[in-house]
Amino acid sequence: MYVAARGGETAISNAETLYRALNGPLKPEFVRGIEQTLPYLVDRVMAEGSLYAPQLAALAIAQTGGDVYEAVLLMRAYRSTVPRLAYAEPITEVDLLVVRRISAAFKDIPGGQVLGPTLDYSHRILHTEALTTTVTPETPAEAEAPAPRGYPSVADWHRINGLLPPTPTIERPVAAEMPDVTRDPIAFPAPRAHRLQSLARAETGGVLALGYASMRGFGMIHPTVNEVRLAYADVTLRHPVTGTAFSLGRARISACEVVNNLHDRLELGFTATLGWNEVKTISGAMLDMEMDKTETHPAHSEEFVLYHTEAVESSGFCIHYKLPHYVTFNSGLDALRRVLLTRDVERKRRVIGESVATEDEEALA
Amino acid sequence: MTLSELCAPAQDYSYAFLDAFAKRELRRRILKSIAIPGYQVPYASRELPIARGWGTGGLQVTLSLVGPRDTVKVIDQGDDQSVNAANLRRFIARMSGVDTTIDTLAATLIQSRHRVPEEILHEGQILVLQVPDPEPLRRATPSMTIAREMHADADYAVMWLNLYEQIVRYGEFTGGASYPVLVNNRYVMSPSPIPRWDNPKLHQAAHLTLLSAGREKRLYAVPPYTDVRPLEFEDVFFKIESQHGRRDRLTGATHKFMDEIAQADGGSTYSLSDTGYQDKLVRRQNGEDVALGATYYDDFGDFYHAGFLKS
Repeated sequence: MYVAARGGETAISNAETLYRALNGPLKPEFVRGIEQTLPYLVDRVMAEGSLYAPQLAALAIAQTGGDVYEAVLLMRAYRSTVPRLAYAEPITEVDLLVVRRISAAFKDIPGGQVLGPTLDYSHRILHTEALTTTVTPETPAEAEAPAPRGYPSVADWHRINGLLPPTPTIERPVAAEMPDVTRDPIAFPAPRAHRLQSLARAETGGVLALGYASMRGFGMIHPTVNEVRLAYADVTLRHPVTGTAFSLGRARISACEVVNNLHDRLELGFTATLGWNEVKTISGAMLDMEMDKTETHPAHSEEFVLYHTEAVESSGFCIHYKLPHYVTFNSGLDALRRVLLTRDVERKRRVIGESVATEDEEALA
Repeated sequence: MTLSELCAPAQDYSYAFLDAFAKRELRRRILKSIAIPGYQVPYASRELPIARGWGTGGLQVTLSLVGPRDTVKVIDQGDDQSVNAANLRRFIARMSGVDTTIDTLAATLIQSRHRVPEEILHEGQILVLQVPDPEPLRRATPSMTIAREMHADADYAVMWLNLYEQIVRYGEFTGGASYPVLVNNRYVMSPSPIPRWDNPKLHQAAHLTLLSAGREKRLYAVPPYTDVRPLEFEDVFFKIESQHGRRDRLTGATHKFMDEIAQADGGSTYSLSDTGYQDKLVRRQNGEDVALGATYYDDFGDFYHAGFLKS
């Protein structure tokens, strides 16, 4: 094969070698360690990478030295190479194997408030003793009774009480026919599926920034967390020939539903994502509710929110400014110099009449 | 006879990286874009193993078109050696096994960021331009929804108003690269951030130009022999960048697009932006038998479609 040019290729190859040398060797036990000890980081890379594969996410984190944007890009690029073989069966809230669910709307809820694993009520103190000795967590208390298989939805309680319209009865959705933001370009107003898929893949920091802007005062509302859930979801497939349902495993997911009082009715906002990420699902649910408003604050515009929280596109475009831009910059300089020269020629015309320096006129021609 | 002998050898990746469904979608969108010159066709846009905003749109088009018999050239700002051009070329060659070249005349597929080569492209060649922002109306409205309506209505009054305001305020058109063009007398199009020097090269061109924005998920085309006119007034004309007095520091060539290279003494020297062309000029000066193509601008700076650039 004839290879065109070598200079640039040697330079980029050396730069990558230096980066990898600084990060040190990649070892299987290191990757396994990340998967076991950094589950929330692994969750975030899987959610924003739009690919549920804890082992690959741990590898992506290891391979990029923990640069989350790069790790997410690795997951997305890998995702482009694998065909879509099947669609999982749809699930509802009550099918989830819940480890944590709380509602801020009621003191107690049907099924009970389940605090589950959380740091919410702990003191955020560095365990400096772990720098010198191993700190082993205490064994969690035994449950008094087995957890129920599922928990009822708080929104259903609103529905029973006539505060929310009943859930629309729709035909059983065919997954393969649902709008898919990874296979269709998004257009606005977006189908609800596109919006929820985009939020599920969105960059956590971006969703938080826009959500927080809305919560802090640029929003019109102060909604209440109706329900936030951390759970495992069964991934069920149907055999293509026999139609028998079988389990493919379980995925960690989180979901949040917020509720707002509109004086004569309630309205809901919702976001779910792969992995356990309460900040993103709460912010996302607030934005989901706000994006329906006519008020034109950027955080209330679906187009603004969904475009600018896209993890790979926003970070990629940001770093592209490092690429050379000398042709475009020079094109702008030419226009600027022309404006300055025109002003100069006009000034000379005014001062010394018609006998303008011919060199200037030539340059302008 | 064993089962493994009957199977195709396993491959880690599809030919040219993208899976067949992604390629099919891209090819369909490309055909649509050719059928409606200058119209931005939305597409799904897959993530690739290079960062978004680094040419993923152009790369998807290239990967969906490239075949074993192609010869590919990749340039960034006119330069084949630029690090990102080298990286993209390395990736295309690795995933498709094609030959690569720096000679514009020898390439069947040219992927470029921000430049059109100086030698006249011929029929059958495809130029793929990487596009950061496909929307020429972006400065008029940041909303894609509103911009799409304006395109549908051919409502471009704001573009003309913008040009008029430039003349009123500065006495000149102040647009740099990405100077908007009207394609086939219907759609206003961003030619991507090519310098104004390159805009006229798209008009009634023998080659096919495909423009693709991966991050923004839009692709569009200028088919061969299509009218592409810069926005200008009947009495105030579009102007290309002045190359007046600029001479290539290696070959002495003039009347080509030059990179301005800042010098420590505050002055500048100039170097041909099209390094593949520069390479051939150097080799010819050294006595090699090199095929040089005709260029869009001749040695006197005259454009090959006489009368297209008004003065």
